[in-house]
Amino acid sequence: MEFLSRAQLITALGAVLLAVVVLDLVRRRRLAEEYSLLWAVASVVGAVLGFSTPLLQGITRALGILYEASTVFFFGLVFTTTMLLFLSVKLSRLGQDHLTLTRELAFLRHELERLRGTAPEKREQA
Amino acid sequence: MASDVLVIVPALDEEASLPRTIEEVRRVAPGVDLLVVDDGSRDGTSDAARRVGVPVVRHAVNLGVGAALQTGFRYAVERGYSIGVQLDADGQHDPRFLEPLLQPVREGRSDVVIGSRYVARTGYRAPIARRLGMLVFSGVVRAVLGRRISDTTSGFRAYGREVMRVCQHDFPRDFPDAPLLIDLVRRGFRCVEVAVEMREREAGQSFYTLGKSLYYPYKNMLASLMVLLRRPAGR
Repeated sequence: MEFLSRAQLITALGAVLLAVVVLDLVRRRRLAEEYSLLWAVASVVGAVLGFSTPLLQGITRALGILYEASTVFFFGLVFTTTMLLFLSVKLSRLGQDHLTLTRELAFLRHELERLRGTAPEKREQA
Repeated sequence: MASDVLVIVPALDEEASLPRTIEEVRRVAPGVDLLVVDDGSRDGTSDAARRVGVPVVRHAVNLGVGAALQTGFRYAVERGYSIGVQLDADGQHDPRFLEPLLQPVREGRSDVVIGSRYVARTGYRAPIARRLGMLVFSGVVRAVLGRRISDTTSGFRAYGREVMRVCQHDFPRDFPDAPLLIDLVRRGFRCVEVAVEMREREAGQSFYTLGKSLYYPYKNMLASLMVLLRRPAGR
């Protein structure tokens, strides 16, 4: 197997290491399967680009990129952007859930205080 | 008989000014019910409200002024109130204007009534950045709705039951201003302005901090655009 540069070798080994870490995190339930998907795709893409020199060269030519290393960076950037967008969407959803739960808790606490007779309540529930 | 009007007071760290605001509302408008929504205060806001006998719904963490108001809407709808009035805890909103604010909803002329500082000439002078923002968003509202709403940032408003019922499910978490008004009018709700006077805040801090004031124009522009891009939601 011939590598174009040390950077390509590092990419290949990094992808393998990433796959191992992701699998281990899922095994130890530190990373949910749902969130591991994008990381798994990233490791596969990294491994393919790292281990298959002809493919890397072909993709580089097809995309009109001058250097193979830039292709690797390009895919890295695509992955990073996708992941950040995905996380932003998830965070927005979590923010909404957080709001709903906080409000629910506020009402339950109010109701509890009312039942205990510690909260002023002018009006009975309609 | 209990009132059909609930004055919703969203409060964040307003321990100092809240009791006076409540006392003033009770003196000027004894017929209305009050609710304090404590939006995660770190001071004794909730206790201050309880001490003067006002029900409190307290968010465990700070959610934003819109979310606090929405909590008040849900409370009002669940307990059968016909009108909800948003009133700031800091004493800026003069309760003497509650009656003019309530009248259009009571008479069935409007679903949302905005207490505006600019319908009539008043002594209120907002900081220049805020004035500029108001001007811009009044322009946005005019461009979109083809009508003028002079005070889109006023937090002194009355909402009819139907509006509260809709808003308890769908309401901006922060800055319930121009995009909200555009959305409500597009949903077919009637919105009018009445002249009110506002005072300087007495104590505590504004919901609108420096960071938020930078985020404000971006968020409101984007939200206004999104309201336009979405199909008008039904009631």
